Amino acid sequence: MANEAEETVRKLSAHKGVAGVIVVNGEGIPIKTTLDNHISVQYAGLLSALVDKAKSVVRDLDPTNDLTFLRIRSKKSEVMVAPDKDFILIVVQNPVE
Amino acid sequence: MPPKKKEGQQKSRANLGEDDALEWLKPRQLIKPDEQEDVAESDLVEEVGRILTTLNPQWVLDEVAYHYGRHQFLVKPKPTFGKAYPLLIIAGTAIRKDSEEAKAQISAGYGMVGFDDAGPKKVKVKKSSAEEEEEEEKEAAAPTDEPAGEEDVAHDEEKPADEPKEEAPPPPETVEAVEEVVPEVVEEEAEPDDGQAATLDAALSVLDIKPRVKKLANQFNFCERAALTYNFPRRSIDTQTIPPPRATYGSTALQCIIFDYYTEDYAKKMKEKEEEKPKRMKKKETKHEKTAQQIHDEQLAQRIREAWSILERLVNQNVYDDIAQDYRYWDDPSDEFREGMGSLLPLWKFQFDPMSKHAVCDVQWNTHYQDLFAVAYGSLDFTNQQKNGCLCMYSIKNPAYPEYAVITESPVICIDVYREIPYLYCVGLYDGNVCVYNAQLTLQAAYQYKSDSVRDKHSNIVWEIRWGPRLIDGEASFFSISGDGRVVQWAVMPGELQATTIITLSSNAPPIAGPDGTMLTVNSCGSCICFHPENPELFLVGTEDGMIHTCSLKYNRNYVRSVQGHHMPVYRIHYNYFNNSIYASCSGDWRVKIWEDGRDEPLFMFELGSPVGDVKWAPYSSTVFAACTADGKVYVFDLNVDKYRPICVQAVVSKKTKKLTRLDFNERLPVIVCGDTKGTCHVLKLSPNLRVMCKPPKKAKEVIEQKTLQIMKLDKLISLVRDPPFQTGVVDEKFEDD
Repeated sequence: MANEAEETVRKLSAHKGVAGVIVVNGEGIPIKTTLDNHISVQYAGLLSALVDKAKSVVRDLDPTNDLTFLRIRSKKSEVMVAPDKDFILIVVQNPVE
Repeated sequence: MPPKKKEGQQKSRANLGEDDALEWLKPRQLIKPDEQEDVAESDLVEEVGRILTTLNPQWVLDEVAYHYGRHQFLVKPKPTFGKAYPLLIIAGTAIRKDSEEAKAQISAGYGMVGFDDAGPKKVKVKKSSAEEEEEEEKEAAAPTDEPAGEEDVAHDEEKPADEPKEEAPPPPETVEAVEEVVPEVVEEEAEPDDGQAATLDAALSVLDIKPRVKKLANQFNFCERAALTYNFPRRSIDTQTIPPPRATYGSTALQCIIFDYYTEDYAKKMKEKEEEKPKRMKKKETKHEKTAQQIHDEQLAQRIREAWSILERLVNQNVYDDIAQDYRYWDDPSDEFREGMGSLLPLWKFQFDPMSKHAVCDVQWNTHYQDLFAVAYGSLDFTNQQKNGCLCMYSIKNPAYPEYAVITESPVICIDVYREIPYLYCVGLYDGNVCVYNAQLTLQAAYQYKSDSVRDKHSNIVWEIRWGPRLIDGEASFFSISGDGRVVQWAVMPGELQATTIITLSSNAPPIAGPDGTMLTVNSCGSCICFHPENPELFLVGTEDGMIHTCSLKYNRNYVRSVQGHHMPVYRIHYNYFNNSIYASCSGDWRVKIWEDGRDEPLFMFELGSPVGDVKWAPYSSTVFAACTADGKVYVFDLNVDKYRPICVQAVVSKKTKKLTRLDFNERLPVIVCGDTKGTCHVLKLSPNLRVMCKPPKKAKEVIEQKTLQIMKLDKLISLVRDPPFQTGVVDEKFEDD
């Protein structure tokens, strides 16, 4: 399992334009990252809040529904978030020219 | 004292009501009647003495009243009691302390007893006149006590002289004596009335003597004494229990939270219901159950895996966005102007880094997942053979990495996906082994079945492998053809593979003398196999010497038919999807031929100028097929458009370094995939001209299905080709000129 995760992170960060991969545990603490520590912490903190909010939006509109993924496109980069109740996976990708 | 007491009471009550509580604050004003005389304060305070005398000062000795009848004053008869008129006379029991009787009683011992001894003793009095019941008497006695005493006093006052005379001295009879005395007194006196006498009688029937009272009441200065118990000062004591711990809790009751709790509750109830089942059932279940932790871990791992794979796809979507757009929306606009010509648009390239030196030996779309295809990495350079191989599965959603990749010990030459169970793959290896892979299993458990330990396994390269129908017992089976000249049917038994040789491909070559002098028969080497789409017993076998044999599962000695199809190894035979008697074959002799069952000569023949690695019919059209050649080109033919030339020739790879090996049509998407010798798979999009569908004839009144139209199209085409009466060599000559 650990090896698998290592492998996946390595694989993902090898993709074109991928700036960073962060694995956040259930408590919102980044446990694995390819970015700088303080940036990872910032990402983890801000995105867990956003994920909670987004989840509640989806759930409130239809309780049987659930949030599965979250993509945030910005001018400079795109943040892709896979939220789960036990973890959050974050990938930051810069657009390919 | 009394007013004080009252006040106290009021106060105590005041505590109860709020209005009263404040009452004491207000100045108390007494309301006086208007006509009340004003008396000076000093007079009010002044003490007025009262003198109690034995004589009545109001007493008039001789009262005179005027008698109107006689017209004279008469002396009024004297009242017996002076001015007082007795209304009720009750005989008392008190006696004078210094009287004879008292003395007698004291001497008898009665008076010596203290107050604190037991209650008053009752002496039964014998009365001659009336016998009454004891219990009644008891009740009656108590209230009569006091008045009796008072009465006595009155009597004594009036008749101090009479009593001593009539008193009877003997102590035991004292009571009787008193009793006797009193009635007499009453009789002697005014005899007020009979009722009075009766009550008297009743009262006297029992004389309650309190002999023990040592101290007799003062006869003259008798006053009631009241004792007031001490009023305890009111005191309020409050106690407070320790307040329960408090915490501020805030939450929003959202619809989703409520829903979650309901589902949780429902699950709990279901579980409880489950637990109510008889224990026997339960025991069986528990054997196979995993612990909650294990289940949770597995689920978590699975979720993480899924999340990663989707993230990867998201990333890839960004990276390959332009290609995805092309795939979806770009149709070559020039097709409109080139009638009958098409093009192939290169889309994604799939590569697996460890396999960059390997050749793609087989490629096949998944039958269930339209975006997934499997690739067999092996090697076709037999002088410099790779030591390992790989089975990969790529999704066009993730061009960067294979979804599934498993390294095999030997190069993989061929694969086939099981149509019934789309995650089961059978694989033929360079070393002659066949394996079955389950893509659902983790990579650690690489293959599910391997023919390693099977006795009749192949001794040469397995060139093609195809799933077959299920056996009678329900086991899945597949067929393989190998360079050792055998077609073997493999039954997938639980835990093992079972091999059955279907046919051994004999060759026309004479037996060769072996090193030790024995004559060895030489088998022809099978290179490809193709099953009849409708009749699962019939299959075509291509050999390395260019023969195409029609075989049946029922005859394992001989061929049903044999055709010298090519001059070089046959690489592929493929049946048309719409017409079961039409098939295509390709070979290393640069040619692609279209055959009809039962004819020794091909209907069509095309020469492509380079060894043809693969030929496949299009699943969407009966007349379209594609072939790929060693010089890196893909040819697409539509016989309906052009019977002589391909409608599209597209160079996919540089012919100097790479060769194209295999290709496959996607069953649903307008794309083909082809593999090259450097381990790259190219996905190409068919331009609109390459996938022209049939238009129903204008005359037709009914709507005809596309499939029927396609069959009709091919039939028409074949009848055209067949039209000149069949003559050997005609077809050949006709097309060889091309």
